[in-house]
Amino acid sequence: MSIRHIWAVTRKEFNHIFRDRSTLFLVLITPTALLLLFAYALTVDIQHVPIAVLDYDRSSLSRSFVQQITAGEDIDLYAQVDTIGEIEDLLMHGEIKAALILSPNFSNDLLALKGMPLQVIIDGTEPESGVFAVDHIAWRAEEFVNQAVSGQLQAMGYSLDSLQPIDLRIRTWFNPSLKPRNDLIPGLISMVLGMPALSVALTLAHEREHGTLEQLMATPIGRAELLVGKMIPYIIVGLVNVIVIPILAMLWFNIPFNGSFVLFFVLSAFFLFSILSLGIIVGVFMPTQAAALALSFLVIFFPGFFLTGIFFPIASMPEIMRLESLGLPGTHYAIITRGVFLPGIGLDVLWPYAIMMVGLGFAFTGIAALFFKKKLA
Amino acid sequence: MPPIIETIGLTRLFKQNRAVDSLDLEIQPGELFGLVGPDGAGKTTTLRLLAGLLYVSEGSATVTGFDLRTQPESIKPKIGYMAQEFSLYAKLSVLENLSFFAELYDVSKAEQKERTERLLAFAGLTEFKERRAVHLSGGMQKKLALACTLIHQPPILLLDEPTTGVDPVSRREFWNILTELHLEGTTIIVSTPYMDEADRCSRVGLMYAGKLMVCDSPQGIRRQIAGDLIEIFPEDWQAAHQIVSGLPGVLETQTYGEALHLLVEDGKKLLPTIEEALNNEGITLNGARLAPKRMEEAFISLIRRIESEAEESD
Repeated sequence: MSIRHIWAVTRKEFNHIFRDRSTLFLVLITPTALLLLFAYALTVDIQHVPIAVLDYDRSSLSRSFVQQITAGEDIDLYAQVDTIGEIEDLLMHGEIKAALILSPNFSNDLLALKGMPLQVIIDGTEPESGVFAVDHIAWRAEEFVNQAVSGQLQAMGYSLDSLQPIDLRIRTWFNPSLKPRNDLIPGLISMVLGMPALSVALTLAHEREHGTLEQLMATPIGRAELLVGKMIPYIIVGLVNVIVIPILAMLWFNIPFNGSFVLFFVLSAFFLFSILSLGIIVGVFMPTQAAALALSFLVIFFPGFFLTGIFFPIASMPEIMRLESLGLPGTHYAIITRGVFLPGIGLDVLWPYAIMMVGLGFAFTGIAALFFKKKLA
Repeated sequence: MPPIIETIGLTRLFKQNRAVDSLDLEIQPGELFGLVGPDGAGKTTTLRLLAGLLYVSEGSATVTGFDLRTQPESIKPKIGYMAQEFSLYAKLSVLENLSFFAELYDVSKAEQKERTERLLAFAGLTEFKERRAVHLSGGMQKKLALACTLIHQPPILLLDEPTTGVDPVSRREFWNILTELHLEGTTIIVSTPYMDEADRCSRVGLMYAGKLMVCDSPQGIRRQIAGDLIEIFPEDWQAAHQIVSGLPGVLETQTYGEALHLLVEDGKKLLPTIEEALNNEGITLNGARLAPKRMEEAFISLIRRIESEAEESD
């Protein structure tokens, strides 16, 4: 391996990145843009679900129940209706996501401790909002029962504390903290920082399409020299993102970064090396940029999305998928990004993942260099 | 002297198609060898094979004594290869392209500086050295590509149609450079669709359907065509064409725009006969003369002969 050859390729590739706007955009802007997009699209913050209420009871108790349910940000009372037909109409037009029906016996049954006859109708075409409404109503109902009938219960000799466990369980479920976001965004960061892999896959295909690869093949450059020389600039540009993106996460999304930034930076360099090697493999095998783009999605982005444990726990995957996820740099890097943000984990825990990423990087580069021939056909 | 390039039965298959078919070629050091032939004859494949860019299907070859099949990387520093399409980095400047290739060929910094200056002057690109390759004219791009292949002073140049799509002035300049390199002793193999360029080579190989059909000096190739050349300029060339091709002693006719080129058995004897025959049919002649045979007539005549032989054997 000649350092001189590698440097010549690296310098040329740097020029290419900075003189080609689309490449520059792809490597520098896309990760940030994707993070913002995914963070907002995927954060499940359901609020202000519109519902209709059909109150057959019309008692003060039923009215205060409805009031309690629709207090706060979660559920909005869209309309008080008088017939089932109106509910159907509103649901059909998508104006409400759920409807709450209180039976004529609502207050009687409640005070007689016979239960709480409620019916909730949800729009099955958008189950997330509907289920959210049901759960919210159930939780509020529990609360309401406690308050409304606590006197009766105590008179009958029940202790209020005995009801607490049920209450607590529901509260935990609907704890309106930002916890899912704190977990989601570090995971997303691990994915968007891999974006330069796409550029590196495209650059090799670009050279093939423009005939410059033919010219390179006619020179004495070594195969590994060319591939490594091409990767270095994308690692360096990728490291710019490694600095920008956590700052964005901290300032914009208020995600606490409790770990060591130096450690994160070094491990991110390892990750870039391994994911770019995967991109290089794509570039080696694909004849055109279009093909390289398509394959990048198949082997880098979709698996990076679904198999690295960002959204779906790896433990619940079938055996073969779990094996595949081990071969993806993103799997190990997602653990690292999640670790360094909130829990602030150090190298004492993260070293196996670092080693895996470096190992994968060398394996991928080796495969790429092995299959990359200085022949046109 | 041993040949600098030698191929024995060199063959390259693309699927079932024999793109280069049992090529036997010996190139001596210092030759300026022209490769001609119709499109698809296998010129590009031959040059790519010699540059080590394609796997060899059958046969063998040595370039500067190294085996093409087993030692292609030893051959690469010895050759300068210029592909048919522009294949430099469009976003790099003239200087950056030159220095990139200089680095890949391990040219020392001191030599780089000296050679870059000389090559830029040589190619007439000195005042454009900061310009990006994409903004150069077609002719300048070709000259830059040539300069890039010369930066390591290779003993062998493989040039694939270097002047296709270049204006006549640039074409002439380009060939003046090649002639200079030839005089300096560089071995050059150049493919070309232009017969006037073939005429400037020391030896010409005519390829057809992957095979090397004829390989001789330009004079030798012209001599392979029987008869003399008569050039006539009739008013109505279509009618004239019909009349003269039926005359005894006329071997072959070729049209060149308004002119007709006739290959005849004895030019001196037939020229008056032809003029008379056309006069009798009322066709005015704007001129008629005996002319020296050129590569163009020889090439067309040879290709016609090869094609008719191929048809007969089918």
